[in-house]
Amino acid sequence: MPTLLQKLFSKRAVGNDNGNARDCSTAAEQCWASSEFDLAQIRLIVCQECERRGRQVLFDSKAIHKLDASEPTADETKTPPNRSGACHIGSQASEKEKPPTYQYTRPASDVNMLGEMMFGSVSMSYKGSTLKIHHIRSPPQLMVSKVFSTRFGSSTSGSTNMLQDSFESSQTFPSHTSSIGVCRVPSAPLLCLARSASFFAAHSNPVDMPSRGHSEDGDSGIARSASLSSLLATPLPSPGSSFSSGCASSYQRRWLRSQATSLQHGPMPRWNTEEMFSLSDESCSSNPAMIRRKKIAISIIISLPEREEENHNFQEFFFSHFPLFESHMNKLKTAIERAMIVCRRIAESSQRVQVYLCRVMEALGEFRMTVWNLYMAPLISEPVWLSMISQSTERNLLCQRFLKEMSLLMDHGAKSQFLSALLTAVLTHHLAWVPTVMPSSLPPIKTACQKPASQTVDLLAKSHPYNPLWAQLGDLYGALGSPVRVCRTVVVGCRRELVQRVLYILSYFIRCSDLQEHVQPQGQMENPDNPTNPCSSQTTDPTPEKTFPPKPDPLKPTACVIEKALNPESVPGTSVEQNNDTLLTDTKSTNPSSSLESSTVRLECAEMGQECFGEDSDSVGGGLEHILANQSPLLHRVQFHIGSPRETENEGQAGDLSGAGCGRGLDRKLHQRLLTDIRRNESTDSALGDSDDEETSLQELYMATEQKEYELPLPSYHVESRASVNHFGRSLLGGYCPQYMPDFALHGISSDLRLKQCLMSDLEHTVLHPALDEPVAEALCIVADTDRLSVQVVTSQRRVCEGGRLGRDVMVSNLVHTLITSALQLYALNIASDFCVMHLEDRLQELYFKSRSLAEYLRGQTRVHVKELGLALGIESSDIPLLAAVASTHSPFVAQILL
Amino acid sequence: MNALVALCHFCELHGPRTLFCTEAVHPPSPSPPQPGSAIPGDRDREADREGEGLTMRANSSATQRADMCEGCRSLPASHPGFVSVDSETGIRYLSHQHPRQPQLFSVVRQACVRSLSCEVCPGREGPIFFGDEQHGFVFSHTFFIKDSLARGFQRWYSIVVVAMDRIYLINSWPFLLRHLRQTIQSLQDTALKVFDNEQCVCPQRAVRMNSAFSPAVFPHQRSGNAARSLTSLTQHSNLWASLHSSFSWLLKACGSRLTEKLLEGAPTEDTLVLIERQTEQEEEMSGWDCAEGGGSNPQPSQSESVQPKDFQFDDGRQEDLLGPKFKSLRHLRQVLGANDFRQLAWHVLMGNQVIWRGADPGLIQSAFNVLKALLPVGCVRAVSYSPHYEEAYRCNFLGLSPDVPIPAHVSSSEFSMLVDVLNVERGCVNPVSDDDILSLYQFNISSANTQPTDKGPTLLNKIEVALSNENLSVEVVSLCLLCLKEEWMNKVKVLFKFSKVDGRGKEDTQKVLACA
Repeated sequence: MPTLLQKLFSKRAVGNDNGNARDCSTAAEQCWASSEFDLAQIRLIVCQECERRGRQVLFDSKAIHKLDASEPTADETKTPPNRSGACHIGSQASEKEKPPTYQYTRPASDVNMLGEMMFGSVSMSYKGSTLKIHHIRSPPQLMVSKVFSTRFGSSTSGSTNMLQDSFESSQTFPSHTSSIGVCRVPSAPLLCLARSASFFAAHSNPVDMPSRGHSEDGDSGIARSASLSSLLATPLPSPGSSFSSGCASSYQRRWLRSQATSLQHGPMPRWNTEEMFSLSDESCSSNPAMIRRKKIAISIIISLPEREEENHNFQEFFFSHFPLFESHMNKLKTAIERAMIVCRRIAESSQRVQVYLCRVMEALGEFRMTVWNLYMAPLISEPVWLSMISQSTERNLLCQRFLKEMSLLMDHGAKSQFLSALLTAVLTHHLAWVPTVMPSSLPPIKTACQKPASQTVDLLAKSHPYNPLWAQLGDLYGALGSPVRVCRTVVVGCRRELVQRVLYILSYFIRCSDLQEHVQPQGQMENPDNPTNPCSSQTTDPTPEKTFPPKPDPLKPTACVIEKALNPESVPGTSVEQNNDTLLTDTKSTNPSSSLESSTVRLECAEMGQECFGEDSDSVGGGLEHILANQSPLLHRVQFHIGSPRETENEGQAGDLSGAGCGRGLDRKLHQRLLTDIRRNESTDSALGDSDDEETSLQELYMATEQKEYELPLPSYHVESRASVNHFGRSLLGGYCPQYMPDFALHGISSDLRLKQCLMSDLEHTVLHPALDEPVAEALCIVADTDRLSVQVVTSQRRVCEGGRLGRDVMVSNLVHTLITSALQLYALNIASDFCVMHLEDRLQELYFKSRSLAEYLRGQTRVHVKELGLALGIESSDIPLLAAVASTHSPFVAQILL
Repeated sequence: MNALVALCHFCELHGPRTLFCTEAVHPPSPSPPQPGSAIPGDRDREADREGEGLTMRANSSATQRADMCEGCRSLPASHPGFVSVDSETGIRYLSHQHPRQPQLFSVVRQACVRSLSCEVCPGREGPIFFGDEQHGFVFSHTFFIKDSLARGFQRWYSIVVVAMDRIYLINSWPFLLRHLRQTIQSLQDTALKVFDNEQCVCPQRAVRMNSAFSPAVFPHQRSGNAARSLTSLTQHSNLWASLHSSFSWLLKACGSRLTEKLLEGAPTEDTLVLIERQTEQEEEMSGWDCAEGGGSNPQPSQSESVQPKDFQFDDGRQEDLLGPKFKSLRHLRQVLGANDFRQLAWHVLMGNQVIWRGADPGLIQSAFNVLKALLPVGCVRAVSYSPHYEEAYRCNFLGLSPDVPIPAHVSSSEFSMLVDVLNVERGCVNPVSDDDILSLYQFNISSANTQPTDKGPTLLNKIEVALSNENLSVEVVSLCLLCLKEEWMNKVKVLFKFSKVDGRGKEDTQKVLACA
């Protein structure tokens, strides 16, 4: 880790030293990898498992060799791409030429073992897709597998030339959209709730979602679709009311996530649960009678770097970025499906194999390249927003640099309002800035960034854990609105420093939370008292049970928590008596053979118990009397603790001795209690004959259900907090990259050639298989061209664009324009740069307030009177898309009205 | 972490078994509870799964007992289990042999069976991740524990971490692997010591090699040996309590492994002022408490006691006062008429002292309450009803009883205005509706101000537009006012910074005003 850290922050250290504002745009950009990442490290295996024929390998990239006379070593995986150069895939480059020929040799020897791992030794009857990850120790490899059930159409053999056409047309709108839509099974309560929401009912057919060609509602730019988070009503009052924390919408998103992934609700299929592998294009008309039991597994095997540290780094990267890997695997799966369907139509067998191999190899090439790019692409070394959050000391310098770059860019594109247009688009779609300006209701803590950290979200994270990485990914893609839309921004231009300047500026507006990691320090791991080491007490206290005979203990009842919910109607009186009995015998019995040590320990414990709980803990009899005396229909809870968690937390301090002693005493008593329990259990077992068995089991049942658990202190643990390195805020803000990349929330490229090729299918793929693990209504991409000074927004909801253009031009929001102008003019007047940045934030906050007025205005309106808005609120028609998007983060109904 | 941890064992007699399970029970949700505890239709689903042969009903201890040996059991059936409570968050970590929550029972059972008899791990010991949306997702680590009496001298176990959040579970792979390895290592090391001891006492290999193999006796022998518990294999009597602590810790640590630093916007100026005043008030209160303890009897001056109450819109008190009231700025504007309202609002915005004099304190207070909305909270100093005149530095809103004289320096000042509320004498009329203020009162506005009030400021013009547009609801208007106020506060901040802090010339100030 140190080298990676050093790499990531080395530039900052330099900045610290000379102290002056350096030109950010020339700042070096770093990538993840500390060494080369070879494309051949990624292997693809496709296997099928059939009821009758067993397992077959359908593809193994290791067994495939490229036959090409011109390039003898032409297997593109063998030529590691130049680190600073693009990772071009051979088949891509020679696309116009004759496709390469492949030879399929015998699969590698490990394929049987791998097949076993992919499918498991016992086949599962589950019809949905299964995900598996294996770690292979030698050679070190990670294997990710997805196992699908297959689906056949009604006719698997009826192939005509017409099918080719149908394939072409279905590629623009992948056929399995519908199947996924139809297969959503809302069996979970959350989804049932969603169903009942009126919005969903109105548009209950997700197939209709991407309403192509309906340009009349194009202006709203809001998809008609339902998403889980947007539909689940609003469990919290909107900000501004009693729960007026600024982070209400972030809070809500996270809360919903914690609920949606909660184990307490049991398994809840959320969405795309029955994803299958299609062996026919007619996926919708599948005839159940035709379905045979067949499974197809797709596995990606990644060879891990030899060196321990690199291995570690790659694994950290892989596991933290898994959603992206998975999304690309889904893309690969779609391509393999297509390849199988297409090749089946080819009569001549050798050619069929060639087509199949070619297509799969091409898809694999793409997968490899994407992964390579993700891992190796240059990143913005100092994203402005994240740096401002994390580096409080350098704030002034950062502000200065940021404003300088922004004013340079403003001057550059002044005529075309390039910056205003770009920021209008970015603020409209990368919505994570909104919660960062929502006013907090809490007193400011003078942090250097002058903004309070959200305490409510912090508390939520502790009590209802969710995945902070997921939250961050959603932030970066701007998935905060309703319905959920995800957005990326690509800056195109041949002038490197100009593109980098734009990227740098945008890294202030494209925001996400910063992540901190809390881990045990290395030394702590080896500590025998480490809580993960269950046998530690054994080593410190080796022979407890043999030396001490089980002795009844006067304090024993306090060692456990008797948290008794007494309800006279449901609890039989006999059992209470019985319980009472055992407890009383416990207290009455004496301890004849206690050693000096154990008695002192016990004394300490007694004192602690009394300190903690005063009178209540002095006798259990009293406690029970209390319980019995107050028998009312209400629940009564009496708690006895010893060594409360707070007590144990103090262990490292001066009171160490008594705390530790008590802990050990407690430990000992507990195991004595355990022993007596076991003995009692054994004795009853042996004493009672078979005839009493039923009674005992009833009693056991009661004991198991009514008697509450022994309380043990939660082990305290010492953690080291450090800035997390493996998070999306660091990895998805790309620098000036050699090639277009589909994952990055922000990156720059020199040419839009490949962008034009891939963008539409990437956006469609994003809607079908969002890395966000949440249904997405629309995927967007902002394309800013610094050469032509144009800003366009491309959407997955394909609309007809004139003249072969990718998307639509962005209308400059007047509010955004004045906002930038104002901040930059203050900067030009030599006002302190941190004040200018604060002013910028104030103006962004004004946008938020305006969006609230707009939302409130829309609540009662059927038509928007733009003039009214302009006069009263200063909202012009050019501002409406922006403000509506902002409003949809706090008032989901806005999308509905604007449809 | 939203997960549970379970220790599973492949029993040579009974197959895969869940031995010990630690689950995290979260406190009730901070928002309306979701239907979670009892999902109707759960039974059906469970029944469906029974076909897979993986289901065992929870709490049916009678049936469990029948096909359980020591090796399949952790806590005796009578044992209540363990609990640890995280006092900070209220999360309870519960350990039992099987999960308490019935909906998790089959999930854990499934995870256990899959980890020990379906999924294949190279080398049989190591981590695997598997799962699907229906059965949950599982991180599993299989391992052997030495047992001198077992077949092959070892028994096979696994620790599974089950969660519904696939992504987080995968994200946590390195963390879970690191810590579970430690736990497993510790179990294995301890068991190895026991194994070595036992081998010293009675080398089983020799016993087995020397004893004649007899097919008739063999099954009997094995069933006798199959019953060793993990406690006996590790000679660790506290094993389950320790494992409970380990697993609870793991769940907590894994859940809080990553935290977000998420920023909120700066509080509005109004919030800041309110917070400041509240703190002051609290300090004052505690100060009084101390003083009273000391025996003195402090008498707060009237204005002081009025102020802190005043800024908190004391609706309750207002309700007590009968009679007509102003409900909103728009209402006030309707009653006064556009011209008078404009003049009044102008003075309010300019920071001049606005005096209302009349016999109805309720009406006057309601007027102040709606007028306050025009100003930042920090600029409001109201004395709602006083028997004598208060100076302008004390209050910018002043209510007076009808007979109180206005000092000459005030009535002649252009920085103050007076609204006289006069009763309309109509003899003894029937009680009129509260809405009809005009039928009861007449308002006379007077001021020494000579500046025109109909031109500016822009802020007032915008406010008037919003108020006069009946299409905008009261809520929209109040949000609109909030916007306008914030906008102007931001301008003020710039101006203040520029002129006061940095001390610039007039020309630059003009520029700043133009751009802010």
